[in-house]
Amino acid sequence: MLFSMFLRSFFIQAGWNYERFQNLGFAFSLEPALKKFYPDREKFKAAMLRHLHIFNTQPYMAGFVLGNIARMEERAAAAPSPEAELKNMPGVKQALASSFASIGDRIFWGRLKPMTAQICLLVWAAGGFYGWLFTGMNAPASAALLLAGPLLGIVFYSAFSVYWRWVGLKAGYACGGAANCALDASNWPRLIKLLSTAGFAMSLAIAVMAFSLLAGFNSGATVQGMALKAGLAISVLVLHRVSRALGRSVFFAAGLVLAVSLLVFSVFKVEAFKLYL
Amino acid sequence: MITLVKAFISAALAGLLGLDAVQAFQFLLARPAFVGPVLGLLNGCPLEGARIGILLELLYIDFIPVGGVVPPNGTAAAAAGVLAYCAGGLAPSLAFFIGLAAGVLYSPVEYRLRAARSPWNARVEAEVSAGEITLRRWLAGAMLAESAAMTVYVLACAAVAAAAGALPGISRLYPGTDFAYSLMPWLGLSGLYFRFRTQARKKG
Repeated sequence: MLFSMFLRSFFIQAGWNYERFQNLGFAFSLEPALKKFYPDREKFKAAMLRHLHIFNTQPYMAGFVLGNIARMEERAAAAPSPEAELKNMPGVKQALASSFASIGDRIFWGRLKPMTAQICLLVWAAGGFYGWLFTGMNAPASAALLLAGPLLGIVFYSAFSVYWRWVGLKAGYACGGAANCALDASNWPRLIKLLSTAGFAMSLAIAVMAFSLLAGFNSGATVQGMALKAGLAISVLVLHRVSRALGRSVFFAAGLVLAVSLLVFSVFKVEAFKLYL
Repeated sequence: MITLVKAFISAALAGLLGLDAVQAFQFLLARPAFVGPVLGLLNGCPLEGARIGILLELLYIDFIPVGGVVPPNGTAAAAAGVLAYCAGGLAPSLAFFIGLAAGVLYSPVEYRLRAARSPWNARVEAEVSAGEITLRRWLAGAMLAESAAMTVYVLACAAVAAAAGALPGISRLYPGTDFAYSLMPWLGLSGLYFRFRTQARKKG
């Protein structure tokens, strides 16, 4: 039953809608448990309807809530008077969904997802592909290397996400019934801090590498030429920072760079140059 | 003819991979960093595909899909960008900016698809009350609609890019777009750096 719920939980967002968010996917994932606990058709229908109400959490952490609710339903099905258990259920479900959404957003969206891009860049750089930094560079790179970058990031990320989907489901089912059930399944603040530090270290390494490559590929340039190219790269960093401070998205900065470039090089026809020699 | 067939296959593949973003699995197969090189390989331009993909990835990292937020769509962006170059014949720099715009413009489509599913709740409840449990069918229908919408959208973007490529004087834009494109990696790296610098400074 748990394995079937686990497999179905990969589709928890398949029916995402603005009225009740992940409700359709949640009921679909819980269906095997409810089928097992309620052989009586009427009770099964009532249980399914209970779980078609609003539900929303971080998809990778949904297992914690699913396992917990499955345990509560199991107890309710076995109890002679399930009213108390059923009365607590919406509150527990809501509390856990909010708590795990907050944790999951920070771990997966905030840290692990950007780390996959970092892994990709590091793999490409290690394999000698610098075309990602110098867009006009047509040095060949093997298809295997081009695919290895994103694939390694995906494997790294999916190892985390699949692990927490399964562990969450088991932990939730083991301690089901309480609004703080499985919240101690890991030392979340420590994990978040660790990922932040690792991510920052990789960002720093990539930034140093990018500027080193810029310097390396301009080793024959004049001091003024080199200063102009490094200055351009730094001004783009500053532009992004200022855009963020003004509450503008990265598209504002990209749009501004495009507009100025078109004006200077396409309209006024100033002779363009490349960032590398 | 072969280009057209490849464009159709690429759009269909984008439609399938796009499901991974929200509806199924979420292994990050829908991210531009993966979609770019895959579609690039399929269309004979793996290097440009990888480059367009990773640059879009770096810019799209700024957006987080929390709650009901519909961020710009990375799959649509990468697929449109790669096809604009490989099938549309545009310069990689212009293809990249077309992809960037295509991802942003897909958000309203995605919003409408999600909103269109809201009335399903009452219908599903009515079915369950009647003893008919067909959630599997509803979810499959939702995924099919999302996939089809993405496929059609990517094909439309590729057609627009091909039409733009046939415009006389389009190449006059290239010195400007090429230069702006050469600065995009730095813009992306800046996003990556500041994202983690802010987080590393936080206490929790």
